[in-house]
Amino acid sequence: MNQAYAVTAVAVVVVATVLIGGLGLRISRTTSDFYVASRSVPPRLNAAAISGEYLSAASFLGVAGLVLAQGTDMLWYPVGYTAGYLVLLLFVAAPLRRSGAYTLPDFAEDRLESRTVRRAASAFVVGVGWLYLLPQLQGAGLTLRVITGAPRWTGGLLVAVVVTAAVAAGGMRSITFVQAFQYVLKLTALLVPALFLVAAWHGDGTPRGPFDEPPTFRQHTQVQVEDTLRLRIEEPLTVTVTGTVDATRYRDEGVLLEPGTHTIEGGTDLRFTPGSTVPRPAEHASAGTSSWAEPLSGSRDAHPLYSTYGLIVATFLGTMGLPHVVVRFYTSPNGHAARRTTLVVLGMISAFYLLPPVYGALARLYEPELIMTGGTDAAVLLLPGRLLGGLGGDLLEALLVGGAFAAFLSTASGLTMSVAGVLTQDLLPSLGVRHFRLATVLAMSVPVAAYLAVSDLPVADTVGLAFAVSASSFCPLLVLGIWWRRLTAAGAVTGLLVGGGAALAAVAATMAGFPEGGWPRALLAWPAVWSVPLGFLAMIVVSLATASRIPPGTGATMARLHLPEGATR
Amino acid sequence: MTVLVTLGLAVGSVLLLAAGAALGHVAGRRRGAGRRALGTPVERATFQTLHNASLAAPPLRAGLTEDTARKAARRLRTLLGTDALCLTDRSTVLTWDGSGEHHTAGLMTQVRQVLETGRSEAFPLTCAQEGCAIRWAVVAPLTGDNGVVGTLAAFGARESPVLVRATSEVARWVSVQLELAELDHSRTRLIEAEIRALRAQISPHFLFNSLAAIASFVRTDPERARDLLLEFADFTRYSFRRHGEFTTLVDELHSIEQYLNLVRARFGERLAVTLQIAPEVLAVSLPFLCLQPLVENAVKHGLEGSVARSHISIVARDAGAEAVVVIEDDGVGMDPERLRAVLRGEGGPSTGIGLRNVDERLRQVYGDDYGLVLETAVGAGMKITARFPKYRPGVHPSPPSLRTRPRQR
Amino acid sequence: MSERPAPRREVVVGEPLRRRPVRQLGVRSEIDEQTEVGGAYVRGLMRSQLRAGLCGFGVLALLVGTLPLVFAAVPDGLGPWLSGPALVWLVLGGATYPVLLCLGHWYVRRAERNEQDFVDLVEGQ
Repeated sequence: MNQAYAVTAVAVVVVATVLIGGLGLRISRTTSDFYVASRSVPPRLNAAAISGEYLSAASFLGVAGLVLAQGTDMLWYPVGYTAGYLVLLLFVAAPLRRSGAYTLPDFAEDRLESRTVRRAASAFVVGVGWLYLLPQLQGAGLTLRVITGAPRWTGGLLVAVVVTAAVAAGGMRSITFVQAFQYVLKLTALLVPALFLVAAWHGDGTPRGPFDEPPTFRQHTQVQVEDTLRLRIEEPLTVTVTGTVDATRYRDEGVLLEPGTHTIEGGTDLRFTPGSTVPRPAEHASAGTSSWAEPLSGSRDAHPLYSTYGLIVATFLGTMGLPHVVVRFYTSPNGHAARRTTLVVLGMISAFYLLPPVYGALARLYEPELIMTGGTDAAVLLLPGRLLGGLGGDLLEALLVGGAFAAFLSTASGLTMSVAGVLTQDLLPSLGVRHFRLATVLAMSVPVAAYLAVSDLPVADTVGLAFAVSASSFCPLLVLGIWWRRLTAAGAVTGLLVGGGAALAAVAATMAGFPEGGWPRALLAWPAVWSVPLGFLAMIVVSLATASRIPPGTGATMARLHLPEGATR
Repeated sequence: MTVLVTLGLAVGSVLLLAAGAALGHVAGRRRGAGRRALGTPVERATFQTLHNASLAAPPLRAGLTEDTARKAARRLRTLLGTDALCLTDRSTVLTWDGSGEHHTAGLMTQVRQVLETGRSEAFPLTCAQEGCAIRWAVVAPLTGDNGVVGTLAAFGARESPVLVRATSEVARWVSVQLELAELDHSRTRLIEAEIRALRAQISPHFLFNSLAAIASFVRTDPERARDLLLEFADFTRYSFRRHGEFTTLVDELHSIEQYLNLVRARFGERLAVTLQIAPEVLAVSLPFLCLQPLVENAVKHGLEGSVARSHISIVARDAGAEAVVVIEDDGVGMDPERLRAVLRGEGGPSTGIGLRNVDERLRQVYGDDYGLVLETAVGAGMKITARFPKYRPGVHPSPPSLRTRPRQR
Repeated sequence: MSERPAPRREVVVGEPLRRRPVRQLGVRSEIDEQTEVGGAYVRGLMRSQLRAGLCGFGVLALLVGTLPLVFAAVPDGLGPWLSGPALVWLVLGGATYPVLLCLGHWYVRRAERNEQDFVDLVEGQ
């Protein structure tokens, strides 16, 4: 990896962001004709902004890494991320816009006329936001380590500082043009290299079998082991070693590794022959094959079908509760436009998600050793160098690095904005409305602390867990709030606490590494399957029990949520 | 305010039921057991009481005048079942219902005590007239926001504790009705006054001048005259609309732009305007006509005095959970002390009604954190900053209403 | 403007209100708008929109939600020319997205037609 190009790419992304944020605003909005001609943000622009904020590093780098490490089942992630928008469109988009709410707590208060519900919703916004920020930092740390070799914690800290500064300075306020630019950048950064890579693959004689299990080396491959590594060998494997394996020094000697666990010291060179199986790390956890779904793989092996459904339920129903997604709907001028916007978002992220699987397949063919050394998250970034090499490879790599940086920046800043907003408004009102900056620092400092404290624990899979918590708390609140007149404040609070609380507890248990395995492990690692129905049930039962306390304005609120704007003038 | 109204209604009904039960008890004892099929005597008496009260309420909800008192007194007397009933305000007898009207003569001196203390009183009456059944009076105070506003007097042939109790309960019920009337009235008056004050600003000078300017184009540039006339129609339609306390930023800005076009038709190149609007905040809800007065203020300051070109800029930007609107002119400015006086409401009738009105309404709707921030000095122009939360409970632009929708298109 | 420098502007704010801001939690609009007829119209519209949403969700569950079961049922794919993982890769990596888009498109049209029907109904009364 050419570091000079990579650094330049990051700098270009930052400068372009600032320019578009600053100048774009002026250019596009100075003339008075502006809003007479087009009185609002057109759905397509707003959709690009939503997509730009939504497509995180987990999507940009993580999906390909997961496919490389764990096979095609991991493609459920992008499908779920996209289908989440379809569910949002079906049940939430237009009514949420028509409610006039800016945040989820706003919606809760508007619909249920209760400050208590508002506060409960605020707490979950902060919880989900923090859970979702954590993997962003983790991913940034891994990426930076792969690119520059810097210690793992520096990358996350760097992104945290940059984002906090940008948000606190007001530079990343929800500027539609900036986020739309981020989407175009991310799409381009993934699309252009993909075209070259597929061409190179074609030129290579279109080798087949990217998904053969177990993955094998296709050519002579030399791997330099940087940190001491423990490998699990399933069948006897002959490898040429220069360095120390199992406390024995070798110098360019062929070694037969018997089935079992073997320790490779740091600094050892391993050379594999074509056709030999790629060994996997012994501990999934500490070596971290992929930071986005790691500890879950243990339970996946045991109960793959249940885990897949856990992922499906969490992502399909969790998208509607992500705090940085919801606020963007306010930009739509009305419910009609909100619906159209969501449809365009669906198209835009679908287009994007066609690309990561391509990278995943190519990575399995051309860089399977990443499975062994960890850092599959870097697979996307390393592919051009591996397949193309030379200046072209360097430039494409730089483009990918820029895209990845944009991904960290946009999602993390969107999340930080939302969490800080809720902190200032609801949870720490004593800070005063003006202390947004202080809240920004607070919003980022908790996930940073968690990131530093548990950086060698398997916490980075929390994307899936954040979705699970969001699906168990906000999905019942939104769906019942919009479609069921008999929801009461007491029911809503109970449902939030029971559903969301159960999912949070499961998340905490999973992150603490408890329990060890089997069904309990699977149930806690993928809580959505049972916690979402639990949330719905609690909300419905308690609402029916407190039927006398249906908010007095329910009829009027329902009319406002569902009547088309045109019919009310 | 609506909470108060609801509360008032609830209290009113409870009192009414209490009074009805008391009277029903009396009536029931008098008549003995009745036909069960139509309810017990107590129940029937209660229904009768409720019916009478419901008939007495509408006139009272319009306030305490001779006319409303006369209409209500009839019902109230039936309610109490007395020989005579009288309503007074603080100074005169408003109405007398029943026999013995000659007692009105000295009544005001007799009820003075009640007006002063606010406590019910019962006292015997001396009457020389033959056949006059009225020997005993019960007087109860009618209270409003500002203490005792009048009295209710009931008259009977003899002393009766039941009548004393019933009279004070009915008086309390009447008081609740009067308070509700006051609330209704002040609320309507407040909103009307605010909107009227704003409309007073745009009319009649602006309307006249605009029409004159449009007229001047009729011959030279009929196309433009036509466009301006349409803008004028749109602008007045928006400003004079009847329903809804809230609007959206886009509608308010649209109206402002039409206003500015009309002004520019008259002043031409003397007025330059820059609009810089972040489209993200166009959907924000805000009180109706709360930016237009600020722009008018800027236009007035800009055109006043200076012969040269004057410049106004209107910026609306997104600030997280708020929208910030800044209106700045480079006109004559204002003495800060005088501006403070204007905001206190001491600026005289004609100056700055708009500024004070907008400031007060923003504080009412959003709280004191959201008052206007003005920066000015004599000859230094003026910069007005207003902040609007993107969401506030109850702040919704022209709520969906199937009834008020015009049947057109 | 004149040559003399403009005087420094001074910040002026109004005096705080003694009262607390008026909180309006929909009660007023409730009184204003809640007529039985209006309520019936809104409930009708809600039902048709919910039906459309549930319809879309049902199709999603049927077409996409059952895929894990399908994949589990045919672990070896469709014969020698399409292995199991390759099938999964093709379906999840590409074929699912057009389905999601078509569903979304169908729903938007259906929901907009429901709203148009509602407007026609109300206007034609």
